Parts: sequence; C-alpha cells; structure tokens
Amino acid sequence: MSKEVVITGMSLITSLGLSMEENWENIVAGKSGVRYINMFDASGLTTKIAAQLPPEFEELSRKYIKKRAASQMTRVTRMCLTAAKMAVADSGIDFEKVDPTRCSVIMGVVNTGNSSVEKDTTPQNTVFKTMTNSMPAWISLEYQLMGPNFAVNTACASSAYAIAFGYDMIKNGLADIVIAGGADSIINFEEIQGFNALYAISVANDPPEQASKPFSMDRDGFVIGEGAGVIIMESKEHALARNAGIHAEISGYALTSEGYNIMAPRKDGEGMAHTIELAIKNAGIRKDEVGYINAHGTSTELNDRYETMAIKRVFGDQAYRIPVSSSKSMLGHTIGAAGAIEAIITAMSLKTGILPPTINYHQPDPDLDLDYIPNASRTAAIRVALSNSFGFGGHNATLVLKKFQD
Amino acid sequence: MASITETIRNEVKETVYSFFADECEVDIAQINDNTSIINDLDGDSLMFLELIEIFKKKYNLDIELKVIGKYAVKHPVATIGQLIEMQLLIIEHENRLLDLEQ
Repeated sequence: MSKEVVITGMSLITSLGLSMEENWENIVAGKSGVRYINMFDASGLTTKIAAQLPPEFEELSRKYIKKRAASQMTRVTRMCLTAAKMAVADSGIDFEKVDPTRCSVIMGVVNTGNSSVEKDTTPQNTVFKTMTNSMPAWISLEYQLMGPNFAVNTACASSAYAIAFGYDMIKNGLADIVIAGGADSIINFEEIQGFNALYAISVANDPPEQASKPFSMDRDGFVIGEGAGVIIMESKEHALARNAGIHAEISGYALTSEGYNIMAPRKDGEGMAHTIELAIKNAGIRKDEVGYINAHGTSTELNDRYETMAIKRVFGDQAYRIPVSSSKSMLGHTIGAAGAIEAIITAMSLKTGILPPTINYHQPDPDLDLDYIPNASRTAAIRVALSNSFGFGGHNATLVLKKFQD
Repeated sequence: MASITETIRNEVKETVYSFFADECEVDIAQINDNTSIINDLDGDSLMFLELIEIFKKKYNLDIELKVIGKYAVKHPVATIGQLIEMQLLIIEHENRLLDLEQ
C-alpha cells in the first residue's frame, strides 16, 4: 500500500540568508542576493556578478562541522552538510530513536565545487573533495544512517530529482525518512568564463541587484547563484506518530528527458509541457487545483519564453489565472541546488499563503503574458503548487506539492 | 635504520599528541596513551597516513606505504599509545618493518 509523503524539516542557505527565517523574510520582501563577486578577482571576466553566500557562512559552518572533517570537504560540501543538519534540527528527529536502515540520503550534486576557489587542498584530501557522492556520504556518516545513500546529477534539475526519488522510496515503503536536497556553487573563474562563452549568463553587471530579470523583455541570461536546500521527508504516518510539525505534502512528480539538445529546450516548450502535464496526472490532481507555479524562470531568452508557452499549453485559458514566479530573480541560479531550494520556497508558499515575487520585472515582454507576480509578493490561499526544474542536457522535473491539512 | 633514543620517543609522542589535539579540536590534556582514536577523538584512518608523512620528512625515512599496510593489517592500531609504538617501529625499522614478522 502506498504511503503519503510529507515534509517535516527544511533548511535554506542562500545569498539571502543563512537560516530558513532570514531567507523567507528576504524572499517575501523581494530582495536580491546578487552582488559584485568578491570571492576572487573577477576583473578579467565579462560577468562580474553573482549571488554569493554571506561571508558569515564560514562561522556558521564551523558551528556544525568539526575542523578535521571540514578539511576533507569543499565549501559546497560544507554548505550541504550544514543545511542538512539544520533541516534535521527543524524536523526534530532523533536518529537514535529510529531504525537507521530505514533512513536514506539522496542529494542532487552537479559538482562538489573543487575548483580554483578551494584553498588548502592537500594530496590526501583531493579525492574526498572531488567525490560527487561525498555530500550524501557525509550526511549519513553524521547520523550513522544505513539506508540507500547516493547522489544524482541531472544538472539544474538535480535536487528536484533527488526529492522525486526520495518521494518514491517513502511512498513505496522502502524508507521511513529521506534526507534530500542539494548544494552547489559554480562561482569560480573558469566556470563563469565557460558560461560567458556560451552566452548563457547575464552581463548586466550594473547594478548587480537588477541583473536577474526573468520573463522581462530585457532579460539577458541567468545570474549564477550558490547555496543549499535540504528537506526531510517522511511518511505521513511516521511523522504523525512522533507528533512532528508538517510543512507541506508532496503528492507527485514527473521526470522526463527532452532528447533534443545539450543546452536548448525543445522548441516551443514541448518537453516542458509534457513534464508538467505528466506531473499533474501522476499526482492525481485536477489542473484547476493548481494555485501557484514556482517556475524554473532562469532569465534566459529561451527558457522563459518556452516555459511560458508550456504553461499555456497545459492549462489553456486557466494559465492566465495562475500566479507564476521565479525565485531566481532574487537568488540567482543555484544550479544543482535550485530544485530543492525552489521546492522549499514552494512549500513555504503553501504553508504561509504568501507567494514570492519575480523581482526586476519592469519591461513586460509582449509574448510572455502570464501573471508573474511582478516585483512584490502577495497573499493567496493556495492548496496545490508546482515547482519546475529544467536542466542542461534536457533533464526535466516538475514536483507537485500540497498544503498539509490534518 | 635508527635506534630509538629517549629524545626521539619524546618527539614522536609530542608530535602525535599535538597532531590529534589540533586536528580533533580537543584539549591535549584529555589525551593519553589509552585514548581511542575513533571512539574518543572522532579521528580517522587518514590521520595515520598524515603522521607517517610528517615522520618521513622529519627523520628522512625510507619506507614504502605498502610495507606499513601489510604490517598494520596484522597489528591494527586503535589507541594513541599503539599508534606511537607503531610510528617508533617504522622509524626504527623503515622498509625492514616486515622482518619483525619473521
């Protein structure tokens, strides 16, 4: 018998804050985390901006990770473990009181960030810093968990995939608790240079806060962000049995492949539409129940155009009545972490009834004519929401979340 | 092949204690020869290798890791005291460490 899946713990570490509360406050206020890059000398790059974590992350990380273990991790891996420990704390789970063989860890990992920004890498810790499975491994080591433990890489959809696999494990009775999410940073000279060469990222350096403008006529590419998002998923019965606080319910998903192009989405959003349509079908909901869509919304020409077309294709006239917003307008594109970060923001929208805005929306594109929640958050009593993630290589994911009701 | 003097013994002990105190963020006064590396200090096997590198440089040792590996399989190290004794044997016998088995 399949089980219902709920979220009992959440944490965010992003350019807008180092706690769930700080992040949500800044997201609702429509603030931007994008600044001039100061992690290294970016003067030789065309793009000189990114959504970096606050420098206080180092201090926060030291509270959660011992020096010895930290020396074997990259900054990104530390983001992941720190966020995981914060999510576990939020869930209130005592792992000494649960069956460790029924606890799983699944992380979306594009890379560990073992790039030129990493310092103090020795021959002994090079391997540990590079292993893409290191993030889920460190989490399971921390709590001595013995269920399936792995990383999944589907580019910008990685952590949405991680959540989807975790959902299946609980739904099918293979685990009681799954820690899922992701962490990422590609804020380093070589990768920014690479994305500049692909004309994929914004070069609107001045002012940095206004560079990420999804769905706007003057959008010119995504802005690189960094961070981590981790959720704790449990079966509803397991969560209720321990009187856990429940943030939201996950009711389904779709994972698809575009089979089309290593970088561009399938024309007119055909692949995206297929993903959204399938997610709705798999979750067993009606289209008219969808009250909010947290879009992939990268601020690139093609993604925003095709994602808009996909939403219209799936929902028809109803598309104009569904609020759609892009968290990337504020946080930049956190790549492997984006799916989890945005799923958490979607869960918070369901829980609080506040829909976050798409900031920097000042020049409407006549072809993109949905309700993008321009510039200011709004309240709305929603029951069902979607979170879209579409990755380079044609990896698509749509998660379906529901407001939790006793 | 070096003979182990009291000076070398003290140097090795001091280096090992300081290394674990620093890496594991514990007060050096809390460490003694019976301290368990894994259970008490939350240490790891890599630390053993790092100490070997330190002593290789300090005493200009001619020792291959595979020799130490073969010896360690039969003589596992669990405590700080056992680790110090192992390091002293490595310093004393270098690549002839396995001769001790015969």
